[in-house]
Amino acid sequence: MKVKYTIDRATSSPVRLKRRRSRSTMPDYAKMKKPDVKLVILGDMNVGKTSLLHRYMERKFKDTISTVGGAFFLKQWGRYNISIWDTAGREQFHGLGSMYCRGASAILLTYDVTSWQSLAELEDRFLSLTDTASDDCIFAVVGNKADLTDAMAVEQEGEQEESCPASVCPTPPASPSAHKQVHREDAMALYRRILRYKMLDERTSLPAESMCFETSAKTGYNVDQLFETLFDLVLPSIMKKRDDEKISTVDLEQSADVAKAKSHCCS
Amino acid sequence: MSVKAFELVPAVGRELLMGDKALVNIECIECCGKHLYVGTNDCFIYHFILEESTSTKGKVTYSSQKLLHKHLGLKKPVSELRAVSALERLIVLCDSTVLVVDMANLEPVTSGVARIKGVLAFCVNENPVNGDPFCVEIGIISAKRRTVQIYLVYEDRVQMAKEVSTPEQPCAISLDGYFLCLALSTQYIILNYSTGASQDLFPYDSQEKKPIVKRIGREEFLLAAPGGLGMFATAEGISQRAPVSWSESVIAAAVCFPYVVALDQGFITVHSMLDQQLKQTLSFRDGIILQDFEGKVALTSTKAVYMLVPLPLEKQIQDLLAGRRVEEALVLTEGARSNIPKEKFQVMHRRILQQAGFILFGQLQFSEAKEHFRRGQLDVRELISLYPLLLPAGSSFTRSHPPLHDFADLNHLAQGDQGKVQCCKRFLISYLREVRSSDGSNGWRQDVDTALLKLYAEANHESLLDLLASDNACLLPDSAPWLEKHCKYFALGLLYHYNGQDDAALQVWVRIVDGELQDSTRSDLYEYIVDFLSFCPNLAVVWKYADWALNRSTKVGVQIFTRRPVEEEQLGKMNPDDVVKYLQKYSQALVLYLEHLVLEKRVQKERFHTQLATLYLDRVLSLLAASPPPVEEVTEARRRLQLLLRESSLYRVQCLLDKMGEAELLQERATLHGKLEEHKEALHILVRRLKDASAAEGYCVWASASRGSAYRQRLFHLLLGLYLEPGSAGDVQAVLAVDLLNRHADAFDAVAVLQVLPEGWSLQLLRPFLSRALRETMHGRRTAQLALGLARSENLLLHHDRLKYQGGPIFVSEKKGCHLCHNTFSEPDCVCLPGGVAVHTHCAAQRARDSPSKRHCANPSSHT
Repeated sequence: MKVKYTIDRATSSPVRLKRRRSRSTMPDYAKMKKPDVKLVILGDMNVGKTSLLHRYMERKFKDTISTVGGAFFLKQWGRYNISIWDTAGREQFHGLGSMYCRGASAILLTYDVTSWQSLAELEDRFLSLTDTASDDCIFAVVGNKADLTDAMAVEQEGEQEESCPASVCPTPPASPSAHKQVHREDAMALYRRILRYKMLDERTSLPAESMCFETSAKTGYNVDQLFETLFDLVLPSIMKKRDDEKISTVDLEQSADVAKAKSHCCS
Repeated sequence: MSVKAFELVPAVGRELLMGDKALVNIECIECCGKHLYVGTNDCFIYHFILEESTSTKGKVTYSSQKLLHKHLGLKKPVSELRAVSALERLIVLCDSTVLVVDMANLEPVTSGVARIKGVLAFCVNENPVNGDPFCVEIGIISAKRRTVQIYLVYEDRVQMAKEVSTPEQPCAISLDGYFLCLALSTQYIILNYSTGASQDLFPYDSQEKKPIVKRIGREEFLLAAPGGLGMFATAEGISQRAPVSWSESVIAAAVCFPYVVALDQGFITVHSMLDQQLKQTLSFRDGIILQDFEGKVALTSTKAVYMLVPLPLEKQIQDLLAGRRVEEALVLTEGARSNIPKEKFQVMHRRILQQAGFILFGQLQFSEAKEHFRRGQLDVRELISLYPLLLPAGSSFTRSHPPLHDFADLNHLAQGDQGKVQCCKRFLISYLREVRSSDGSNGWRQDVDTALLKLYAEANHESLLDLLASDNACLLPDSAPWLEKHCKYFALGLLYHYNGQDDAALQVWVRIVDGELQDSTRSDLYEYIVDFLSFCPNLAVVWKYADWALNRSTKVGVQIFTRRPVEEEQLGKMNPDDVVKYLQKYSQALVLYLEHLVLEKRVQKERFHTQLATLYLDRVLSLLAASPPPVEEVTEARRRLQLLLRESSLYRVQCLLDKMGEAELLQERATLHGKLEEHKEALHILVRRLKDASAAEGYCVWASASRGSAYRQRLFHLLLGLYLEPGSAGDVQAVLAVDLLNRHADAFDAVAVLQVLPEGWSLQLLRPFLSRALRETMHGRRTAQLALGLARSENLLLHHDRLKYQGGPIFVSEKKGCHLCHNTFSEPDCVCLPGGVAVHTHCAAQRARDSPSKRHCANPSSHT
């Protein structure tokens, strides 16, 4: 990001603007906090991507409507800004996925534990979108709606309720009612297939055990662990990115000098 | 959706264009400063001057004046127009041909080659990489299949700079730097024409709908995506902003920071780029063109041109605030930071933060409100003034205009809900405390402190006393009635005291103690008052309330005087004589005060000592007069009297003796005699009347305590004499005498004792005395001998030294020279300087004269 910024500076010297432009430039859009790293949540519609993000950012669960296009949030994590992109699961917006994933440092492939189809879709439809992600991108396979099948995830609700009384929860099911279609082993198998797809060595990559999560956006079960684990894992890639930028910044400053010299000749 | 970001204003009506020719439509427009160009489908270009005027109410209107219209001589519509003001040229696309015409007269440029054929669409690079100010870079979609060309347009010619091929047929183009953003038939791509690198963005279907490729800033484009989305994409192929949601039928889009404006068949929609929310919808039928030009947004129907006038940012923000949409208002404000001069922005930002703070305050979201107030540097009085009666009556404060909020006061805000009022008050307390501890209250501390005092008093808050006891600026005339109203009388006293009105403070407190006023703040208020008086520097006040305090309790009340700091006494501020005189009425207090003076302060004044001794004596006498006398009290009273008599030597003895009269106070009487040095009488009383041998011995020790041993010896001999005096019950006295001798052997002169002792006493009886006396004598003798020996030896040594320093003979001859003038001696007289150096007498005298410090010590030490 800094690379670009340097270019902006170099080219926006007022002298040059006046002489060169036939029309004035667009207003300089307010520079938003530049994210250091990008996380993208992918998955079929209705698996609960928006709810997961909402639970993490707002600490509560609310009914969401189908996401249009995508949305993103900025999360301050230590000294870094992490942008988290929530994508639309609908087929209609599928084409945008690879653009969202471009340069991503972490991708959350999300499915619904009560729907085998949602896991299958990850492999069939979403995996190819991740081709544009950065080379050292890490993957997490996330099974949401664990509260529907898992007693443990329901119990969590009580604990969460205390800490966040604002959470809006309709009467929780007395016991897990829905049939669990996807087990953690299936998710782990998918994770290993992802590694193979990426042609990564399973032994040198992050282990499936630690990268497959079962969560519940509704009760908050495992949600914080999921995001915070990923944040910690992407930090090294931020450092690397910053180092890269340092190197390129030097180059750009040189080119900026050239540009200045040029404008001198014209006067 | 309550923001009104834009207003739709007609600019050019159909009467100035095609009139009533139904088949003629607008095809394209261009706006450059005041110049508006319109291209029509019957191959005309119209040139208007657009005058913008603002009414007093801030309403913008446009009046247009047609300067020229010109037929291009072709039969095709004018598809695109772009003005290049630096070159004074208009680039026109008509009949697949790019022409360059003069901006002023619309005549085609004839010199040189100013024409490109086979063009489907073109765009101007607003951020060109080449630095040549005299040319414009345009990108064109060529009629040649799957090709994009870059041309440089000069004043009188065009020149191709680059040609790149694309994987599919392009149908829309935008250019920034080296980056071409293209809509191909099935997808959008970014193509770097310098390197040829291409970056797929996302797929879409050009058959289904018309693509939109719109440059919105450096290396950032806005694209129409499937599902009616407006997607943002950077040249790197990354989306940095979340998409905005348009309708499926979107025709055109424009950007006017911070908004994205889109046109569809029925509406103009306005989304914010800051939060991607839909902000405004305007109904607009049959729109065909929407474009932004230098911050203006123009749109057309088929027959007329309109302008979308952005409302002033501040107006928009105020509208948002009026709609209680704080978050959006702040986002909009902060988004504008870089577009407004810094000074102006800061003023605006502060004000908006303050307003936002008040809105949140009204919603009882105190922590957020506080944060906004803090960042907005709110004049804290704005907040205080919301609370009725809190600001001092004399405060010069008036609320800022225009108002920061629409609350009349707290009651209006809370709508009578007392719970809310209480919450607000608690918040104000905490806020004011923070303000006090920071420097936010600069200049209006009085208002802040007075308000805080009132809140504390009302809420029965424990910090009220802390506030008054510490450094504060509470206004007395305003605070006092308030404290009275809330029965905070103790605090009221503190307030008076802080303002230097100790009398008033005491008046209030006294009334509390007397039960006239009810305030249970301090259960020990009486002690507090006494303590207060003991430190009070205003003596008039002290005297005024001393009676009250002493009447209540003499014992405690007297502390007014006894606890006074010492320094003050030294300054003579409170004269002890005055106090003593004053305390005559209160005998107990007087005793306590005199004890304080005599025993604690050790004041060495006869008056006090005598008076205290007299008072003690009176007490003893009065106790003894009772029948039967209370034993314990008598003992205690006598103990005190005796102690004083013994310890003090300032009181008037004779006076006390007289006063004592015939009372059986033998011990005291003996002490008094002792003070008069009438030891014989004293011992007589002790031995004969009191018959207390140990008291007699004690007396001897006491009476001789500060005297020499001879005095002591005299007393002991007196006592011994009394014991040995015949005529009394012999045996007992003999035993006492022996005991005395044996116990105090060292106090006696053994020889004198032996002379007075009766002959018949056995040696055995006096053994301890004798052996100690003997040892003492021996010791004395030996010590004396030793001292003598030492003295002798010292004398010898000194004698030796003296002889040594006298030195040997000094020889003077005619051959020897004087050490000062180096002449020889001619006569025997000479002066001998220390060290045996012989010099002339006149030389020595000269030297003595010359050395000022030794003028007097030039005496010759010896002559030869």
